[in-house]
Amino acid sequence: MPEAIFAELGFKQRLKVDLFPTIWCPGCGIGTIMIQLAMVLDEMGLDERNTVIVTGIGCTGRMGSYMQYESVYTLHGRTLPVAEAIKSVRPELHVIVVAGDGDTASIGGNHLIHAIRRNARVTLICNNNEIYGLTGGQTGPTTPTGTKTLSSPAGNPNTPINLQGLVRSSPDALYAKTTVYHQAHMRNVIREAIEHEGFSFVDVTSQCIENNGRRIGFASANEMLTFYRKTYKRAPKGADRLAPFEIGVLYPDGHATAGNGTGPAPEATPEATAEPAAAGSGPAPARPPVDDEEKARRRAESQKRLALMARLAPEVKLQVAKGEVTLADALRTAGIEPDESPG
Amino acid sequence: MRRLSQGNEAVFRGAVAAGADYFAGYPISPSTEILNVASAYAAEHPEFRFLQAEDEIASANAIIGASLAGAKSFTATSGPGFSLMQEAVGYAQKVGVPCVFVDVQRVGPATGMPTMPGQGDIMQVKYGSTGDYTPLAFYPNGVEEAFRVTVEAFNAAEESLSPVVVLSDTFVAHLNEVVDLHEMAAEVTRVPRLQAPLARHGQGGPRFFAGVLMYEHGPNAGEPATADADEYLRQFYAAKQRHVEVAQRYARYEWGWNRDAKVLIICYGIVSRVASPLSADYALFRPIRIHPMLGDELRAIADRYETIVCLEANDGQYADMAELALRREVRRVPLLGGRISLEAVRDGLARVLSGGPSQPPVPPTPQERAERSPLGIG
Repeated sequence: MPEAIFAELGFKQRLKVDLFPTIWCPGCGIGTIMIQLAMVLDEMGLDERNTVIVTGIGCTGRMGSYMQYESVYTLHGRTLPVAEAIKSVRPELHVIVVAGDGDTASIGGNHLIHAIRRNARVTLICNNNEIYGLTGGQTGPTTPTGTKTLSSPAGNPNTPINLQGLVRSSPDALYAKTTVYHQAHMRNVIREAIEHEGFSFVDVTSQCIENNGRRIGFASANEMLTFYRKTYKRAPKGADRLAPFEIGVLYPDGHATAGNGTGPAPEATPEATAEPAAAGSGPAPARPPVDDEEKARRRAESQKRLALMARLAPEVKLQVAKGEVTLADALRTAGIEPDESPG
Repeated sequence: MRRLSQGNEAVFRGAVAAGADYFAGYPISPSTEILNVASAYAAEHPEFRFLQAEDEIASANAIIGASLAGAKSFTATSGPGFSLMQEAVGYAQKVGVPCVFVDVQRVGPATGMPTMPGQGDIMQVKYGSTGDYTPLAFYPNGVEEAFRVTVEAFNAAEESLSPVVVLSDTFVAHLNEVVDLHEMAAEVTRVPRLQAPLARHGQGGPRFFAGVLMYEHGPNAGEPATADADEYLRQFYAAKQRHVEVAQRYARYEWGWNRDAKVLIICYGIVSRVASPLSADYALFRPIRIHPMLGDELRAIADRYETIVCLEANDGQYADMAELALRREVRRVPLLGGRISLEAVRDGLARVLSGGPSQPPVPPTPQERAERSPLGIG
């Protein structure tokens, strides 16, 4: 069975769209992260039979209720112990944690340190909006120094926590940094994080316009996204740390990529040995990391399918997206001759 | 094979016999032997998962995650650690997660007197977490019973879909008695898991395990019910009824010693062993299921006796429950500060049975004693 891809809008099957609209404020960045995550999971063929979502408390914690996955909405800060235990009991499952910065680094900070130390084989996606949003906008552990919040009216006097440094204290953990503006980059790094064999941490800078952005001078979410576009730059290839306002992936061996889907440097790639087994059949095999060539091939295929989809009628497109008919069948019915079978 | 076995070890063996395959814990005396035995067992049995967590909060949440994933899970701690676990206990109650918490009590509050024996967590088990819930808890008084009670705790957890507490104390935990744990393990009946583990759900679509009140059925299923009292009542009373029904199957207690005596002594755990030399003169009611309170059972027995005295290593926690259930006076002998001795029991009984106060005479400090008698005499 071919991988469902973005072009087919198959990721909507990974979401409980009947529960939309979400509770998040207009302009919130969490929805964007959820869509990107759903796209990546869909692309990777990760569904409710082989993947579990664990979320924390706060705005971000609600993400699990909108996703077509079995999901555990844990206590505030306790995502990682729950996730690590699930992975320990059921190693064949992919366990993906989604939590805000307060949940991850403040109330859950001790668990974060020790999940990193024990190299818990889970992926943590941190919605880092630098504020406690749900409670109205108090200083969080990642709030920049000097930022005025409800709980620091004279400006945050403290230094934000160094998430990169914490994660990089382990020889096995992957750290990725991206923003809600850089959506393609976000998908790439989430994918690389999920494919990573040890603890992986995706630090997504995200906008909270209602309870942070306006107070610090942004007029709209769009202005915040524009700020991310202008400020954040890809890290140079080979960088072993990310400077402020740099996005990219840091692999445990110190080889960074720009997070553009090129994966780790070749010498860091372990030999691919096992074919991925069917979901849920025994312990998870070691998934071979995807090399640059394979990623380029997938991208090209994705674009080709997108072009072919564009030639279909909207209702047929929807059928394809839902998986009711394959793209090849739909094209045949419509009398469109692809150059070669899209598989 | 009959051999000398320790209370803590019996708890662990009982857990394994009941089907436990996940343990998470953090070292704290006097429960640490359970963690030690678990780690040694896990090293030889890869199907048994072991986690030494960073703290008790992580331990408690890890056993919840493990249980949702399909394991029969448990943790062991002492009073201070159990305090840290209370939020997770409430979560497991709300979500309906079967798991077992072992609380080996010592003298509190706070770090207290490590690790003198105490029984100060009776109310913590009942009221420790925020909100209302109906916990099940058992308290053995010996090695063999520690094994059996632990097995029943696991089974009751599966049946009631809730976290069940096994209480113990420093003395029960470190008591060594000759028992045949192997033979006992062969006789154990295991209750299987009632709910599908994570990612193995049936037709209903993926589930959302939430500490927040959610609609579980109907047109709003999957949406928060955070302002709907009706939905709260439905879920709360369904859980309460389930817990009470399961508890009725495990109405364990002992009514013994001299049943024809005029005074009924209520005591449990190690205190019942310490007081047993007085068996000729008193009747004994020993609750093994501490929560829910054995009200009907105790009422039926208590009517026969002129006087009721509760001996316990706290300031009257069970006596309060008994008094409420019986609507009559229960005299109290608090055995505080870890002084659980036959002498203290005798003194206390003599005091309260002659109409004296439950509070023992507070001894003078060495300084006061010196002032009263400068020569150090008397």
